[in-house]
Amino acid sequence: MTYVVNRLLSVILTLFLITLVTFAVTNILPGDVAMMIMGTQSNEAALEGLRQSLGLNDPLIVQYGRWIGGLLTGDLGNSLIFKKPIAELLVQKAVASAIIVVMSMTIALALAVPLGVWAAVHRDKWQDTVSSSASLMGVSLPDFFWGIVMILVFARWLVWFPSSGIVEPSEDFLGALRYAFLPSLALGLGLMAHLTRMTRSTMTGILGQEFICVARAKGLTERTVIWRYALGNAIGPVITIAGLQIGYLFGSIIVMESLFGYTGMGWLTYQALLNRDLPLIQATVVVIAAVVMITNLLVDLLYVLIDPRVKLG
Amino acid sequence: MKDIVSVDHLRVEFATDSGPVVGVEDVLFTIAPGETVCVVGESGSGKSVTSLSLMRLVEFGGGTIVAGALRFRREDGTELDVAAASPAVMGEVRGNEIGMIFQEPMTALNPVFTIERQLTDGLMLHKGLSQAQASARALELLKSVRVPEPERRLKQYPHELSGGMRQRVVIAMAMACEPKLLIADEPTTALDVTIQAEILALINRLKRENGMAVLFITHDMAVVAQMADRVVVMYRGKTVETGTVDQIFTAPKEDYTRALLAAVPKLGEMKGKPAPERMRLIGDESARAARVAPVARKPQVLLEVKNLTTRFPVKGGILRRTLAQVHAVEDVSFTLNVGETLALVGESGCGKSSCGRSILRLVKPTSGEVWIGGRDIGALSPYDLRKARADMQMVFQDPFASLNPYRRLKDQVAEPIVNFGLANGAALKARVEELFDRVHLPRAFLNRFPHELSGGQRQRVAIARALAVNPKLIVADEAVSALDVSVQAQVLNLMMELQEDLGLSYLFISHDMAVMERIAHQVGVMYLGRIVEIGSRAAVFDNPTHSYTKQLLSAVPIADPTKRRFADDLAFKPIKSPIFPLGHQPAPSVYTEVAPGHFVLKD
Amino acid sequence: MKRFKTTKGLIGIFLLTIIALVAILGPMILPPDAATKMDMLARRSPPNWNHLLGTDQLGRDMLARVILGARTSLEIAVSAVLMSIVLGLPLGLVSGYSGGWNDNVLMRLVDTLLAFPALLLALTISAVLGPNVQNTIIAIGVAFTPYLARIIRGEALKVAQMPYVEAARASGTTDGMIMLRHVLPNILPAVIVQATISLAFAILAEAGLSFLGLGTQPPAASWGLMIQASRDQLDVAPWTALVPGAAVALTVLGLNMFGDVLRDILDPKSK
Repeated sequence: MTYVVNRLLSVILTLFLITLVTFAVTNILPGDVAMMIMGTQSNEAALEGLRQSLGLNDPLIVQYGRWIGGLLTGDLGNSLIFKKPIAELLVQKAVASAIIVVMSMTIALALAVPLGVWAAVHRDKWQDTVSSSASLMGVSLPDFFWGIVMILVFARWLVWFPSSGIVEPSEDFLGALRYAFLPSLALGLGLMAHLTRMTRSTMTGILGQEFICVARAKGLTERTVIWRYALGNAIGPVITIAGLQIGYLFGSIIVMESLFGYTGMGWLTYQALLNRDLPLIQATVVVIAAVVMITNLLVDLLYVLIDPRVKLG
Repeated sequence: MKDIVSVDHLRVEFATDSGPVVGVEDVLFTIAPGETVCVVGESGSGKSVTSLSLMRLVEFGGGTIVAGALRFRREDGTELDVAAASPAVMGEVRGNEIGMIFQEPMTALNPVFTIERQLTDGLMLHKGLSQAQASARALELLKSVRVPEPERRLKQYPHELSGGMRQRVVIAMAMACEPKLLIADEPTTALDVTIQAEILALINRLKRENGMAVLFITHDMAVVAQMADRVVVMYRGKTVETGTVDQIFTAPKEDYTRALLAAVPKLGEMKGKPAPERMRLIGDESARAARVAPVARKPQVLLEVKNLTTRFPVKGGILRRTLAQVHAVEDVSFTLNVGETLALVGESGCGKSSCGRSILRLVKPTSGEVWIGGRDIGALSPYDLRKARADMQMVFQDPFASLNPYRRLKDQVAEPIVNFGLANGAALKARVEELFDRVHLPRAFLNRFPHELSGGQRQRVAIARALAVNPKLIVADEAVSALDVSVQAQVLNLMMELQEDLGLSYLFISHDMAVMERIAHQVGVMYLGRIVEIGSRAAVFDNPTHSYTKQLLSAVPIADPTKRRFADDLAFKPIKSPIFPLGHQPAPSVYTEVAPGHFVLKD
Repeated sequence: MKRFKTTKGLIGIFLLTIIALVAILGPMILPPDAATKMDMLARRSPPNWNHLLGTDQLGRDMLARVILGARTSLEIAVSAVLMSIVLGLPLGLVSGYSGGWNDNVLMRLVDTLLAFPALLLALTISAVLGPNVQNTIIAIGVAFTPYLARIIRGEALKVAQMPYVEAARASGTTDGMIMLRHVLPNILPAVIVQATISLAFAILAEAGLSFLGLGTQPPAASWGLMIQASRDQLDVAPWTALVPGAAVALTVLGLNMFGDVLRDILDPKSK
């Protein structure tokens, strides 16, 4: 129980620090927000008016307090470019992005785990060379390049999937999946390359341990030894690593959603950054960081279920 | 009688990046039903490769049996050519007809499966038992290896069990299908001496009750003397000598065997001798001739430790508050004379290492005083403490980790001299060369890096570094434990020679009672942070008075096959936890003086 | 596998040498206007003898642009990684070696920063500071610092617990000297490996930033910008995407191959 309480306190502290960092990056760094919004050529009176209306002339601590107060009450202010309440925008876009995150992670894990195990079992043989070379290629290409290849192959040449756009899952769930598939596949392939490498090295370490030798000395078949004894131990670390990749994934969806014109959180963040929509930048950045942190927390809790050595409390 | 195992001119090679490397090249021995054969050798002798080959497990480590024959007589009487057997046949043999136990009980069990699952999967596979039958048999097995509360253990995971208990589970796993042959690969090397005694006794009983043969792999001649019917001595991948245990111990034929046996101290052999003696080394006549002379001078106190207590916080929670304390060292007092050796002995976790580190102020003691040469180390300012370190140096256990891999040896030996500004330029160079001579290392090593040296040579460098600033006290923390027995003897002799020549005092921290009996003037036995008994070597070894000292001494294997001690089941008191809640105030240590200078803790 | 590893290392070194030479010498050899000269008669022309790698939508020579892009990408990536080492090394070293309260506070901060995806952090900093080459370096350098600090701290913590550090302390060596002589040399291999890997990530990050218009700005040549420009002409001029894509891939591949082999050599555990 103390563990849960401690963990919760730690989450609250980290969330607080996340807001602080976001505020610091967007407000304290040199650069005039009003000028960012209106451009360098605008006249001084208009700039001053905007500063007044945004409260930019108040001391930073007051600005921060006002912003955090809004965050706590769910009032994130209005987006300057969309002229809509930010909270409303976020809720709408979050679902779309969740589909992509889940889909790409599923694709990545489903391919990476068998491939990594295969490479580790045949360590230093041709199978390992093939798997290692493929994953090395995978981690070396920018994922937006994968996206372009996907568009070229699946949308332009084969015309199996749409190259851009989005369908609301509430209207047509299968259609939504169809639109999410290509960006998810492009993200999943890059992710898969990382996870294959990680699975291979984790499995290699475990296969070298004494309890594997003991299992073989008991006469168990190689299949049992590898898929039950070894993988049973590797799955915890692999899931932890996959959880850490969530952060990377949230960075990549900014690029990928923009490339596919898929209007989710990543696209929204990009629009905010491109148009210097300060309230929207702050909101999306805080939300993404919080989601990444909470996902990692959930993965930690999941670990407790997988590994009996880790206990709550 | 037909042998159940015969190994004939076995040769195993390992594929490496730079071509095949020979693991073993010429091994031959046999095992008769019901007998214990010990394969003994130092590190790199190929003894483990031999045992893994017999199970054909060696190929999972990249090894290949390239020549020779391995024959195993199966339960149905047919003879199996192990080297040529198919994977399916090996699957039937492994765990079913041959059981195996390993060195590291901490890593031999799968951490994410329950004990029950690990005990039953072999039974269900080999004997076709149902889950319920297998579970019933698993319970029976745990009882036969004397695991307390067996019902509860079945549902537990390995990390919830102590090291000794895990090794019992590993043995139960190996015994599950009642194999005719049990291979035990260094099964007690990682265990404390009392737990080792229990495990050895357990293997002896199981062997007697089941009539199985045992192939016992070890580096420890004392364990060989206690366990073997017959002995196979290996050296660099070859069988050097085989014979019955009596033959090997009383009339070894080969020089290597003789040298190996000579270097092994036998507990009890120092009875009635007034002073420490050097280790026996064949071919090193100076060692035999020189004998540490009794200290003639009037004893003069160098180190006085008064009521030393060290506690470590157990932290937790988000604010990293202290939740409890480890009472590592609890009210310890003793004195050490100039030119003498005090041995602090005890099992792992007894606080002997923390005691040494507290004296050197490498950890900060909670309370107590440490006087060296008339100064209280605890009361010194950080600046004075750094200066005072010149008087007290340390030699660590692991010769591979105690030298910085990225610095030349001469710089590492010179470091303390530079720190204290004792010499520079040509004088520094001369001093470092002199130190290398002193520890019998060639000057050619001055410019080398640690990885170019063997374990024994590195330990000599560590000793040279400790000697560099002419200390009065050297704390040697398990300084020879990681070394092979012949190297261990050489390093110990060097240390005793230095003591004679330089009048050094040693605080020797060790778990090895037989070695300490040879080299110590005074002995302190530690248990749960306290010294439970302290006195002269003769007093403690010849007249052990505290119950824990008695238990410890009775558990030490003696390198003499006529003095066997582990026939029947043994059960020693398990060691209690040294962790106490905050605010726990333990009683002070009160001693009875049973003879002049021989103190025993009142319980 | 030994052969595979050696081959991998050699290919890595080969690729990196070529790319470094191109990035350094290329701009000196090329005529100053090679990358900006527009050949209006040969817009989107496929690879031919006049334009070995074809031209883009404005008729600019792809080969010249990809060579200039190499310089931009490497300049930004190397400077950003150096910046993150300069910031992260002392932070991680002191935090890992001294432990205690400092370490707790610093690592709490680093953990918080790690919750921000590196690309998002870099994008945000670049957007706030205003996108140009210098700010792209700052953005990537700051975004990578917590990763480096974390890894260096872990290594320093491991080394600080080694007996040779305790031995040095026992023989009267000061903390500063221990960090300099014992801890630093022993964590350096890990830092070098991490720097190589970070360099690969920095190349990708620069490409990503420029692709999104928040990194290098036109008319400067950058691989990310070139891929961005190719988006609308994929069917008619696929080489405009493939050429810069291949340039990024080969550079990152070279760094990753070199990094893998370096890790095998420098880290005895992985053998």
